[in-house]
Amino acid sequence: MLRIMLQKLVSKKWMNLCLLLGSTLLIATVVSFPMYQTAAYDRMLRDEFANYLESEGRWPTMLFMTTISKKDKNGATINRMEELMGTIYDELGVTKKETISYYLLSKMETHSAMNREEIKDLPVKLGTLADLPEHARIISGEMYSEEGVDEDGNIEVVVSQTSLVKMGLLVGETIVFNDLRDVEGNEIRMTVKGVFGVEDYQDFYWQVNPDEMSDICLMNTDLFKKMFTGENAGKYTITCRYIPMFEYEDITADQVATIAATTDYLKEESAFRNTIATPAYRSILENYLEKQTRIRATLVILQVPVLIMLAAFLFMISGQMYELERNEISVIKSRGSSGAQIFRLYLYQSIFLTVLGGAAGLPLGALFSRILGSARNFLEFDSNRMLELHLTSETLVYAAAAMSATLLIMTLPAIKHSRVTIVKLKQQKALKKKSWWEKLFLDIILLGVSLYGYYSFHKTTGNLTESVLTGEALDPLLYISSSLFIVGMGLLFLRLQPLLVKLIYLAGKRFWKPASYASFMENIKNGRKQQFIMLFVIMTISLGMYHATVARTILQNATDNAEYLDGVDFVVQEVWSEVMDENGASTGVYFEPDYTKFASIEGVEGYTRVLYDTKAYIATGQKSRQDITLMGIHTKDFGEITWVPQELNGKHYYEYLNEMASVANGVLVSENFRSQLGYNLGDTITFTNPRGLVITGKIVDFFSYWPGYIPAVTEIRPDGTAATVDKYLLVTHYDNIRQKWGVTPYEVWIGLKEDADSQTVYDWIQDNNIRVRKFTDREEDLRKTVEDPLLQGTNGVLTMGFIVTILLCAVGYLIYWIMSIRSREMIFGVLRACGMHKGELFHMLMNEQIFSGAFSVLAGIGIGKLASVMFVPMIQQAYAAANQVLPMKLIINASDMFRLYGVIAAAMLICLAVLILLLFKLNVAKALKLGEE
Amino acid sequence: MSSKNVIEVKGVNRIFPVPGGEFQALTDINVEIPEGNLAILKGRSGSGKTTLMNIIGTLDKPTSGIVKIDGKEIGDMSDIARENLRRRDMGFVFQAVSLIPTMNAFQNVEFSMRLAGIKAGRERDKRVEECLKLVGLGNRMHHMPAEMSGGEQQRVAIARAIAHRPKIILADEPTAELDSAMAAQVTALFKEMSRREQITVLMTTHDVGLMDAGDMVIELESGMQVHREEE
Repeated sequence: MLRIMLQKLVSKKWMNLCLLLGSTLLIATVVSFPMYQTAAYDRMLRDEFANYLESEGRWPTMLFMTTISKKDKNGATINRMEELMGTIYDELGVTKKETISYYLLSKMETHSAMNREEIKDLPVKLGTLADLPEHARIISGEMYSEEGVDEDGNIEVVVSQTSLVKMGLLVGETIVFNDLRDVEGNEIRMTVKGVFGVEDYQDFYWQVNPDEMSDICLMNTDLFKKMFTGENAGKYTITCRYIPMFEYEDITADQVATIAATTDYLKEESAFRNTIATPAYRSILENYLEKQTRIRATLVILQVPVLIMLAAFLFMISGQMYELERNEISVIKSRGSSGAQIFRLYLYQSIFLTVLGGAAGLPLGALFSRILGSARNFLEFDSNRMLELHLTSETLVYAAAAMSATLLIMTLPAIKHSRVTIVKLKQQKALKKKSWWEKLFLDIILLGVSLYGYYSFHKTTGNLTESVLTGEALDPLLYISSSLFIVGMGLLFLRLQPLLVKLIYLAGKRFWKPASYASFMENIKNGRKQQFIMLFVIMTISLGMYHATVARTILQNATDNAEYLDGVDFVVQEVWSEVMDENGASTGVYFEPDYTKFASIEGVEGYTRVLYDTKAYIATGQKSRQDITLMGIHTKDFGEITWVPQELNGKHYYEYLNEMASVANGVLVSENFRSQLGYNLGDTITFTNPRGLVITGKIVDFFSYWPGYIPAVTEIRPDGTAATVDKYLLVTHYDNIRQKWGVTPYEVWIGLKEDADSQTVYDWIQDNNIRVRKFTDREEDLRKTVEDPLLQGTNGVLTMGFIVTILLCAVGYLIYWIMSIRSREMIFGVLRACGMHKGELFHMLMNEQIFSGAFSVLAGIGIGKLASVMFVPMIQQAYAAANQVLPMKLIINASDMFRLYGVIAAAMLICLAVLILLLFKLNVAKALKLGEE
Repeated sequence: MSSKNVIEVKGVNRIFPVPGGEFQALTDINVEIPEGNLAILKGRSGSGKTTLMNIIGTLDKPTSGIVKIDGKEIGDMSDIARENLRRRDMGFVFQAVSLIPTMNAFQNVEFSMRLAGIKAGRERDKRVEECLKLVGLGNRMHHMPAEMSGGEQQRVAIARAIAHRPKIILADEPTAELDSAMAAQVTALFKEMSRREQITVLMTTHDVGLMDAGDMVIELESGMQVHREEE
């Protein structure tokens, strides 16, 4: 049996190679989903921790535990805590980084052994910080010794600089506790051996800041334990603090639930519940889980079309198998093989191919997800962001499912046909009239549902924003209606395509050459067989276009928006000192920091003062508003470093600036001054600052968009509903404001030259010791926007979906055509024998490709474009919702489309090459013999 | 009968390379078939019948020797010229089902006329109908091959082979898949055709019962011609 199977594999090597390729690709695709997702979640989690670390400057994964050991017997409390420190990492399932233990005796009065007046009844806390010598830097004197006592039996201690200064101690001085006694009742004396400071500020050991220690003397830890906490020690009240720190980079997404649950248990239910402060990482995990849920839901929905494509792919291959094998199976059957024998033969063959496909598919899937994890943008990869992959049980389940499906599909035709003999087969061969979906009007139904979705969302776009903001779950119909639309339109096209071909045929009925005639006949009579590959091509192209557009549009709008909101490359507002009156009250008079120094930033293109006041108010007649934002600018300098795209205002940005510049008290106001407050061009407007100082200006123009200006925000009311609130912006000359209101803290807006490195601004701030109150960096904000896990995940899945569908389509197309041609070899032999030239045969097959392939490509492009225009704006809105300020721009990226068309064209060219090869190799005599078997 | 030989085969040898040597499929074959004759090529399977048919039908080339069709030496012809010869002057009937499955009986027959370059029109349509009636399928003209029996399909194939009025019909085991009554009917059809349309028919068979129908019998054995005394 095995020998027969191998013979069969070799004799049909082309078809089997196609099958192997198909199954490999299928398995690779299926396993890459969970692989990619797990790895992406892991990275997202790491990013969350790293972001916390970056923004807060604190280690994200640690617990703070504080307890007081009140004259316990044998240090029971401390023993319990230390025991926990030994097991807590395992309980949480994390890798230990460091445990910081800090013990302090309660405050006791001391005096100097030298009886210095300054050190009389001085309160001191004696304590120990474990592992201090490894992390501290000795500023003067030395560290306490390993024994912890000097030759006189005095405890050696070190103090921080703050403690030294605040307590007025001297290095080398001996201090004696007034009342504190050791277990034997002896007086306790200590010698200040040295002053320590922080060796490395990046060292997370320093959870206790030495600068904040004002009355603390630290001694050797072992000695401290021996004297105060051990079994034979006396009874003391000790404040114990433990900080177990663990590595966050090793934490994987599937550990999150355990860590969160264990932490909650420790904090709320365990014996230690009162000792633990809520750790920072708890909210990071909470945040992560929330995001993960949202992302998982989104990604699943985005993957659905790809999975549908995969199913279609399998179905198509299976259909081809069925066509190709049914003759052969019937022949074997008629020659007396039993159904079981045939089934076994096919089963073995399928197992062989599936196992081979699985072996190749797993690493290929890993490669897929690795590459896709590095997607920064749609179809753009960053090799520095490769994902770390590991094989999880989830991946294996997916792999097993994919392999079973492959196996089933490959064996199915054999099961069906092992019962059919050649005689029955011939009876079956009559052509079917209509597909089931045509009879069911599935195309019309799908289109109906999707259009219903389209209109219901279209009518309620405002509500969509609100439901996103209020955290309401989005209707999956929003995501699915686009897929339904594409499938529905594809099917509709399939319904119409035969009519189209027939029409062309009839139009030139008299003129068609034999080759064209034969291809028309093939398409009209046998076209139904091609429906699947056609639907496949249509779906690939339209889904590809749609996905590309979704990804590009979401990302581009997010970045445009981020760029617009910051207004300029950098905004810096220094800390200003205010002149206080004799009572220490604010006077509104400030010391203005040197403004010209900004010129020294390397790569600076321009900088300008911008007064930004959100507390101005206007009053004209009965119209008054408290919440006006006032912006004072210098038109020329401002215009040089800021920009508003012309399409947003319908007018060149500089026109506004020029209009304002030409009127001494000119003001520009946002459009809502006109629409909501009833102001007109040329009106005089009076605005007042909180100190009651008034400026009068003349309105020279209205704008819809202005650098950094948000026209309206959607806010959540206390009752949970959302409401849109208008934002008013008034722009006027800075010099006017300065003249009338005096010098008040302003922002400095900085524009960098195109090729300048934004790091220079950070360096400049550090080098010049600038104290910053407000700081924005456009490049950084853009980076954060792009690296948002939801966007990244979306890009990853869409890119992957795009590549996978293209690959499947190309491979599917090839498989379809090769199989289709091989199954018709005999007919080609007949045609050649009847004297048809090779060129004519080629022409005939080309025509067939045009009828199915080219028509489908064109339909796919049309449907894809239509779907993009109709559905992408809704998806984008669901993503951006609250933060979207600029009007949505639909981005159909030409290079994506070229890539898409390129791959399809390549598949078709390969197909042509294969066609030519097959025709060239076609041995007429041999082909004819095929029929004799 | 006309004295003109439509098919002339002189000293034809055909050697196939096979693993580890050569296989001589035909050895020194000499055949002359006059116009309008029904010639029967007989022999066991493996005797070289199909090889000789393929060479005469220009589907294969002899290793040595000369083949003339209608007086023209085909060995010197280009591929295109051979193909044109096939589509204009020859009609083929194969052992296996050879109809184009996406065309009905009428269209199948019409297609060979299209290939032969016969212009569309009433003439052509009439000729298709005439041929189909000749093979007794006047009432099944618009049936698809899948809707017909093996014998019916074979008769359509014959109609297709004659429709464009070729000079020669090459039929390789046309009766192999038919029952004996049907086989006799098909052979009779060939006989009538050769009379009525002055078509030269070369037909292979191993059915001894059909030999009598032939104007001449050529017998092959292991690639060599068997010469018998004329009866």
